[in-house]
Amino acid sequence: MPAALSLTAPPPDLDETLRIETRFGTIEARTRDLLHFPGGMPGFEKCRRFALLALPELSPLFYLHAVDGPPASFLGIDPLLVLPNYRQNLRPEDRARLGEDADPRSLVWLALVSVDRDDAAWVNLGAPVVINPARMIGCQVVPHDAVYPLRHPLKLAQEETA
Amino acid sequence: MLVLTRKRNEAVMIGDGVEVRILRIGRDGVRVGIEAARSVAVHRREVYDQLCSENRAAATPAMIVPSELTDGLRQLAARRGLRSDVASIVSLPLAAA
Repeated sequence: MPAALSLTAPPPDLDETLRIETRFGTIEARTRDLLHFPGGMPGFEKCRRFALLALPELSPLFYLHAVDGPPASFLGIDPLLVLPNYRQNLRPEDRARLGEDADPRSLVWLALVSVDRDDAAWVNLGAPVVINPARMIGCQVVPHDAVYPLRHPLKLAQEETA
Repeated sequence: MLVLTRKRNEAVMIGDGVEVRILRIGRDGVRVGIEAARSVAVHRREVYDQLCSENRAAATPAMIVPSELTDGLRQLAARRGLRSDVASIVSLPLAAA
């Protein structure tokens, strides 16, 4: 039987396995295991797909590796680990991007970490990455009100190191 | 750059889904209203620029988090008993070399 003619692009093969080179080695991931960031991230607009890795040596940090676009990778941490009372409301456009049907309790929040030349670590609590696991969609949310800083020192409080 | 003159309450259309309307013209600023699909992200330019630069700092490929910090955070996470849903969305483990 001849294949049916279709004017639309074929649906992506969700089981296609990609070999992805990361700084922690090569990973193999199926398309369905990748996170989709519809607009990329500010400064990395062409990075539309990411692999999220949990590595024992990095725990409790997670490694977010861009599969498309310019080489980019990020480290993220649960913002609740930085500030126990962290709570940020999503703007309507961010909810729309993540999927209106998303259960707010199921969303995964990751605050991006950066380390400067002096080994000081910072965490971006103002514009976290939010992921809807049900749809594997992520976006970096940008709040209108600056309740949390884009650069918050990531360090252990005195009682936590004791 | 396209330059247009607009009066109060006049608008421009960008593409087929974004309307920018001049609401008020003041001495030091212009108030604009933006109508777009809910999924279209609208940011103040300086906020977006700041975010780009934070992201670039965070995306430094060889960045290494001091191990004392990771160790401390790990202990803290264990003590707080934080359970994250992240496990459900992580990609496959590292392939055997």
